[in-house]
Amino acid sequence: MFDIRRISTSRWWHKKKNWTFLGIFLFLVLVRISKGSLYKDFYYFFSKPFWPGQFQKEVILKSKDQESLIRLNLLKNDNKRLREILSLHNSFDNDNISAAVISRKTGSWWRQLILNKGSKDGVKIGNSVIGPGGLLGRVNDTSLFTSSVTLLTSPESKVGVWVDRIQINGLLIGLGDDYPSLILYSKDADIKVGDFVSSSPASTLFPPNIPIGIVQSVDEPFKAKKTAKISLLAKPHLIDWVQILK
Amino acid sequence: MNKFFAKRLSIVFFIFVPIIFLWHPNWLGFLGVQPYWPLFWLLPWSMINGSINGLILGLFLGLILDSLTLNSNFTQIPGLILCGILFGRIKLNSNTLVGHFRYGLICSFGSFLCGTLYFLQILFKNYSDRSFLLFIPSIQNILSEVFLTGFFAPLICSQLIRIFKPSARK
Repeated sequence: MFDIRRISTSRWWHKKKNWTFLGIFLFLVLVRISKGSLYKDFYYFFSKPFWPGQFQKEVILKSKDQESLIRLNLLKNDNKRLREILSLHNSFDNDNISAAVISRKTGSWWRQLILNKGSKDGVKIGNSVIGPGGLLGRVNDTSLFTSSVTLLTSPESKVGVWVDRIQINGLLIGLGDDYPSLILYSKDADIKVGDFVSSSPASTLFPPNIPIGIVQSVDEPFKAKKTAKISLLAKPHLIDWVQILK
Repeated sequence: MNKFFAKRLSIVFFIFVPIIFLWHPNWLGFLGVQPYWPLFWLLPWSMINGSINGLILGLFLGLILDSLTLNSNFTQIPGLILCGILFGRIKLNSNTLVGHFRYGLICSFGSFLCGTLYFLQILFKNYSDRSFLLFIPSIQNILSEVFLTGFFAPLICSQLIRIFKPSARK
């Protein structure tokens, strides 16, 4: 009885060292099967503090911003020079006037805004007014402390616009509803729903290339004219603050 | 004294007409359109003071409202003058309920008249190039205005008549 017990203690599984080897072997087999993914994941957590972190990202973004700004200024100067050569209306500069809307009539026939800045602040008749989204209208009257803006939707408004995709000029007229009409004096103009409309580069009333709206629906051609309804990007019935372009 | 006070009150309310016209409370609107506010004042005034007074104050209201709107080519004066004359020919009705409905109908008619006259001006001014485009939005504007004016008139006009004419308070 005693002898048998002595033999059994000498088996390999009774040795701790063997189990350790087996454990390491199995671990390595697992690593091999998983193609090192465990290692890689471990490395991910281990190396995280040493990554090219936020700081480098900020530096790169900052230099990218600077690059874009310089490029924008160069293009602006270029654009200004070319416009002067062609004797076209200049793009707006940075000296805008911010104004609050103190009265708005955006329904029925009378479509106008009254702003809290007037001739005292340097607002002049004919100044363009933009809001978040794009062009709203034109200053039509000023008093000492207020200015009145005729909206693009007013029946009195007629604006030259540019449809960029098909490179064609058109006339945007207000009809007394929320969707002014775009008239293209060409029956074959390939205007489509979703086309983008901006102020015309050849316009003498407005600065060029201010976003205005998007074509919402196109009507059937009538008497060599094509008309389309425009959904304005700037919503005059919601906007409380606007910019007057001097 | 009472009469003097009532006259003063009507002038105070007259001053409020352009203010509310400019204020344009959107939450009272329908399809973005407002009731035609000047009629709510003009109807009680003309009914109490007669056609000539209605004509004169219609003209005054028209002048003020035209100066507030930027549409220099079109005017609200003809519509308001006509309404002033018409409203002056209507007698006050002693039956309260009938009176209330009458105010609604009369103001709706007045609003239709003013809206149509305004629309005709726009139509003639732009006859050549875009008259066909104007019809649908204009008719929608006129009808919404007529509906809203008729809807609010019984409430506002009856109160204003009670304020302007002390004898009608009984």
